[in-house]
Amino acid sequence: MLKVQHHSISKTLTLMNMLVSSVALLLACGVFCAYDLYSFRLALVRNLSIQAQIIGDNTVSALLFNDPHSAEKTLLALNANQHLVYAQIYTGDGQPFAGYWRDRASETQRAPVIPSGQVQDHWFRAGHLGLARSIIFEGKPTGTVYIRSDLGAMTDRMKSYAVIVAVVFLASLLVALLTSRIFQRRISKPVTELAETARIVSREKDYSIRAVLTGSQDELSTLVESFNEMLGQIQERDGALREARDELEQRVQERTTQLASANKTLALQNREVERATHLKSKFLASMSHELRTPLNAIVGFSDLLAEQTAGELNDKQKRFVNHIKQGSAHLLQLINDILDISKIEAGQLEYRCESFLVKEALPEVLSTIHPLAMAKNIDVQQKLRTDRPVYADRVRFKQILYNLLSNAVKFTPKGGRIEIDCFESADQVGLSVTDNGIGIRPEDQKVVFEEFRQVEGNRAAVNEGTGLGLAITKRLVQQQGGKISLSSEPGKGSRFTFTLPAGTEASRPAPAKPSASFPATTGSNSGKPLILVVDDETSARELLASYLNSEYRIAFAESGVEAVEKAGQLRPDAITLDLAMPGGSGLEALVTLRKTPETANIPIIIVSIVDEEKVGFALGAADYLIKPIRKTVLLEAIRKHVPIQGDDDSEILLVDDDPRSLEMLEETLRSAGYETQSVQSGARALEVLSSKVVSAVLLDLLMPGMDGFEVIQHVRGQATLADLPILVMTAKTLAQEEIVLLSRETQALFQKSGSWQQQLVAEVGRVVPSRKRAKSAGQQ
Amino acid sequence: MGHAHSTGFLRDIPGRAPWSSHGFRPWLVAVGVAWVLVAVPCLRAQSSKPTDYDVKAAYLYNFGHFVEWPANVASAQNDSFTVCVLGQDPFGPVLDATLAGETIARKKVAAKRISTLQESGDCQILFLSSAEEARLDNVVKALNKQAVLTVSDMPQFSQRGGMIQFVLEGKKVRFEVNLAAVQRAGLTLSSELLKVATTVRRNAPSGD
Repeated sequence: MLKVQHHSISKTLTLMNMLVSSVALLLACGVFCAYDLYSFRLALVRNLSIQAQIIGDNTVSALLFNDPHSAEKTLLALNANQHLVYAQIYTGDGQPFAGYWRDRASETQRAPVIPSGQVQDHWFRAGHLGLARSIIFEGKPTGTVYIRSDLGAMTDRMKSYAVIVAVVFLASLLVALLTSRIFQRRISKPVTELAETARIVSREKDYSIRAVLTGSQDELSTLVESFNEMLGQIQERDGALREARDELEQRVQERTTQLASANKTLALQNREVERATHLKSKFLASMSHELRTPLNAIVGFSDLLAEQTAGELNDKQKRFVNHIKQGSAHLLQLINDILDISKIEAGQLEYRCESFLVKEALPEVLSTIHPLAMAKNIDVQQKLRTDRPVYADRVRFKQILYNLLSNAVKFTPKGGRIEIDCFESADQVGLSVTDNGIGIRPEDQKVVFEEFRQVEGNRAAVNEGTGLGLAITKRLVQQQGGKISLSSEPGKGSRFTFTLPAGTEASRPAPAKPSASFPATTGSNSGKPLILVVDDETSARELLASYLNSEYRIAFAESGVEAVEKAGQLRPDAITLDLAMPGGSGLEALVTLRKTPETANIPIIIVSIVDEEKVGFALGAADYLIKPIRKTVLLEAIRKHVPIQGDDDSEILLVDDDPRSLEMLEETLRSAGYETQSVQSGARALEVLSSKVVSAVLLDLLMPGMDGFEVIQHVRGQATLADLPILVMTAKTLAQEEIVLLSRETQALFQKSGSWQQQLVAEVGRVVPSRKRAKSAGQQ
Repeated sequence: MGHAHSTGFLRDIPGRAPWSSHGFRPWLVAVGVAWVLVAVPCLRAQSSKPTDYDVKAAYLYNFGHFVEWPANVASAQNDSFTVCVLGQDPFGPVLDATLAGETIARKKVAAKRISTLQESGDCQILFLSSAEEARLDNVVKALNKQAVLTVSDMPQFSQRGGMIQFVLEGKKVRFEVNLAAVQRAGLTLSSELLKVATTVRRNAPSGD
């Protein structure tokens, strides 16, 4: 590329040089030749003219004296000029007088005519020059000379000119070539170097390279200087650009770093938010659990107290217990409402929508409302004008209806009237609850659906209510695709109307209502296992007895000897043995009992303040408990070792980590005539289930260690227990899939809220049929 | 080749012009007839073929151009160039006609017929007709060392001390030159003249 360029430059230069010199030379040669030929012709003519004149002068006497010979002799002198081919002298009257032929005699030409007034005339014609001249003697024309010369001289001259021109041309071309070579070196070499420099610069992007300056001060050096200057500027700009780029890069890097840190922060914050959300969910869940569990105890025990099963209450106590009941119920409702609204707000509330008939759901609500209404002597009427099923979550539907009805009951004076109307409107099923209570002022009607709003004027009349009921109701309706509205006239009553989408068909009949038949309470303890309590201290014996007497028959022994004696007589199912006793240590009694064949198989549980566990176990103790012991621990230990008597499967296994809940359940179920066994962990429950048959399991879901779900999983995994009725009770807020699982695997689900004991008894009665009564009389 | 005359020599011949004139009158016709009787032979001779004396007359005139006369000679100082015919005149009017209006060396040329040598004082050229052979020696003697070019057509003229002698070569008029005589007379002859001379005698024994 470069070479071609270089070549083309030098070639062009050389060509230019050659062309210019050639043209100049040819022009010059042409002009000079033309001029020379012209002057040569003039000279030829002049020479010929002179010759003619000389001939004329030399032959004038011959003419005058009529002597052609003399004239011819004179003419012979023309022989010296080889180019003169022919000469002729004519007399004054045009007669040929004497002639000369160079080669051979040829025709004599007629006398030429010289125009008058001229002495001579010439003609270039047919390769020769002819010239005629008058011979003047003494002013008188005496004759005419005609000379003809060939143009050989001219041709020769032209030939020699051609040779000279050729030689000069070649020589000058050579010189031009040489000079162009020399100048080329001065022109094309710097250009080539410049091009090479430019190429290197463009290839290596190195703008610090400079082209070499030529020595001479010409345009080329100016070019090189300009090029260098340009390079300098480029270098400068390149540098500036690089700086700017570096700066930019740095800035980008900074920004990137900032962005990265921002992202990190964001991610961190995001994680925080996620954690917070998670925590909130967890908090909600634990709130529901932690708040409900103690409340449950309060509600449960106050219920038990109110039922006076623990003893007669005087009027004041009854009133107080009622206050506790009402307060705790209100608190429970409040907590439930708050949890509901939190879930609604968080979008965590899930709906299991189905199509069902209002008339199927209504009785369940009414059964709850009726006691309240009856307390205020309020007449509740219902008017069902449609059989269109409604498409909604059944539980939430009941909640809506309950909220509206309880609200109506609250604001309706004694002896009032509440009317439930069910109707169809467009593709919706509507329900209205109308009361003839105090009504709501128009300015309050807008705010009754807002949270924590209670109509001011009604404060005095309403001493309970969370202020959340209507807000929850409104959201429940709206989230299920319905609308709720209120029309009211103060003093005359209110009407709440809500609509929900109509369903296509009633999906399934309402679950069969549990039979309300309460199992007859027998109170017989004859079937209970016998425990021999061995302790020298009376208080200790009574404590142990109080722990055990609900489940076991109890016999006492005050010493080791007595214990061995009574064991032999009574053959108890188990023995609790104190070690530190006067007059014979417990260990001796233990050894004796173990040696005696009749008592060898009775499990002995050591209950002592002495920590000699290894000795006890070595001597054959079944278990070793260190005082002070808790009731449940004792019961559990005994249950572990006391075999189920006969095939009595009427026991209901109660599983809950909260002792108060267990106690309340025991109390409730026992008062309903059921035998129960309580364990405080899932693992323990599985042990019991593997060792004996129970009629049902009442299971708490949230327990430390193995929780209720795991228990269910294990139970359902065993073929023998596949049909075991499991009733689940929980204070936990359940997720949709948990509800699905539970409804598939278990027989009933109770939320530990409100007065659920009655429902529990009903459900237990349903899954545990009259077996228990049949069995109850069997023992002893 | 023998035509020595050029047209120029003939163009002033009198009597030619009237032929071209117009108008016929009786007396003019009479005069014309008379002129014709006299002139026609002459015209005929000239127009057809020049006689020897026509040529010789022209030669005489021409000689004047090729000869240089000494400047100090009295005759040369005259206004005219005189061509003398001594004795019998063979030319007649031809000579006059030839010389009429001509000049030699810016001098008017005139013909003069003389009978004696004494009359030859102002002559530059002296023609001696062949009829005067008897007087030749006298003439030669008398004109010895005189700047007069002597010309004659008598035989032996140049051998006998004459300077230029007309000779006939066939039908052509030529001449011989006695250069010694010429040089003796102090005249200078152009080489051109010598070139066309048939014979040039340089040392004439008959001279001294």
